[in-house]
Amino acid sequence: MDYLYYPQALSDLIISFSRLPGVGPKTAGRLAFYLLQHSDDAEQLARTITTALREIRQCTVCGNYTEADPCKICAGERRDRTVLCIVEQPRDVVALEKTREFKGIYHVLHGVLSPMEGIGPEQLNLANLLKRLDNVKEVIIAVNPSVEGEATALYIARILKPLGTKVTRIAHGLPVGGDLEYADEVTITRALEGRRQL
Amino acid sequence: MAVYKADAIVIRSREYGEADKLLTLFSRERGKLEAVAKGVRKPKSTQRGGTQLFTYADFLLYKGKSLDTVNQVHPRESFIHLWDDFDRTIAASGIAELLDISTTRDQPEPELFTLTLGFLFLLKYVDPYIAQASYALRLLNIHGYLPGLNNCVECGATVSGTQAFLSAEAGGLLCSSCKNNETVTMLNGGGLALMRRLKSVEIDKLDRFRWNKKMRLEILGSLCYFCENKFERKLKAWRSGSELIV
Repeated sequence: MDYLYYPQALSDLIISFSRLPGVGPKTAGRLAFYLLQHSDDAEQLARTITTALREIRQCTVCGNYTEADPCKICAGERRDRTVLCIVEQPRDVVALEKTREFKGIYHVLHGVLSPMEGIGPEQLNLANLLKRLDNVKEVIIAVNPSVEGEATALYIARILKPLGTKVTRIAHGLPVGGDLEYADEVTITRALEGRRQL
Repeated sequence: MAVYKADAIVIRSREYGEADKLLTLFSRERGKLEAVAKGVRKPKSTQRGGTQLFTYADFLLYKGKSLDTVNQVHPRESFIHLWDDFDRTIAASGIAELLDISTTRDQPEPELFTLTLGFLFLLKYVDPYIAQASYALRLLNIHGYLPGLNNCVECGATVSGTQAFLSAEAGGLLCSSCKNNETVTMLNGGGLALMRRLKSVEIDKLDRFRWNKKMRLEILGSLCYFCENKFERKLKAWRSGSELIV
């Protein structure tokens, strides 16, 4: 615990950095010393964090992070409101938007069901989803293809199907540039199931 | 030795750092282990498949100071049936969680390993919650905590009739006169009879069992209470599973 030997304010800064994901005590110390030696960068960082915390909120419609409520996508007039894509995290909206292939609207769950971690439906942004289905013809579930992601997709499908909404799951398979030799049994099975005619 | 092999089941998987996962493995030779699988959340990782939850695989691990690191992994069985069915996933989560809370690190438990592996295969063929309940009773038996389900554990009287009281503190059933003020969970006659059969029936006959939702929640709830008290940890998957079962 080196930071116990430092002045209180510096120790607090190091401890604050070390709470961030992926930052260990050594890295936290390096970041703190860097900022002390570069006060302009430090002030800029402090201002940026304050502004982000003040300005960024969750869209009350889709749950994505936004400055204006509703967000640009929910307010967009050119978006197809009959297709709704469910994603796990706001970062996934960016990943899908970068493809420029999807023109529908999104719904961000902020997680997936994880019984072992005690994350149930009430911890996810699911209640809002049911209020948004009036004009939706198709719900695409684009959560990550993990066991928890699949369980979440099956759970949502179980809720939505009785409402008569078409529920689809994004395709799984081999990544571009991947090696068949290293692919696992689940991936290859899914890839075969999702094969298409050339 | 810095590098060692283990054939193990992934019983817990959490995100760790930028693209890593922290895995809890249950191995045949060494019992429960914790290891970091580096970069497995990236799409092109060759270890991604072998490090998914519930996968049974051959691991090559590097011994670290606090955490071991996965060097290589070769999946043996991915249990694809657990990916396709919501109830099977919930039941498998309950099995993995119970194994996790009831074991300590680096303590070989080959009998538990075989039992767990068998039940993960079995989930394909039987009611998943029947399998979960039967697994819990067998795990309790291996740990020496199997509750007495025939006689009152205090006075020895035969427990019969429409209601019985299961006490974790006493380690089994109590008759109505011995119950007193102890914390107990109540079992109806049908639930008790089914539990007696689930603990002793051969595994390959579990596909013959059927139950309704009420009995299922009663038995899983009783076992959850008993296991939480014996192992002094909360069973999150069991509790949230009860809410999710439709």
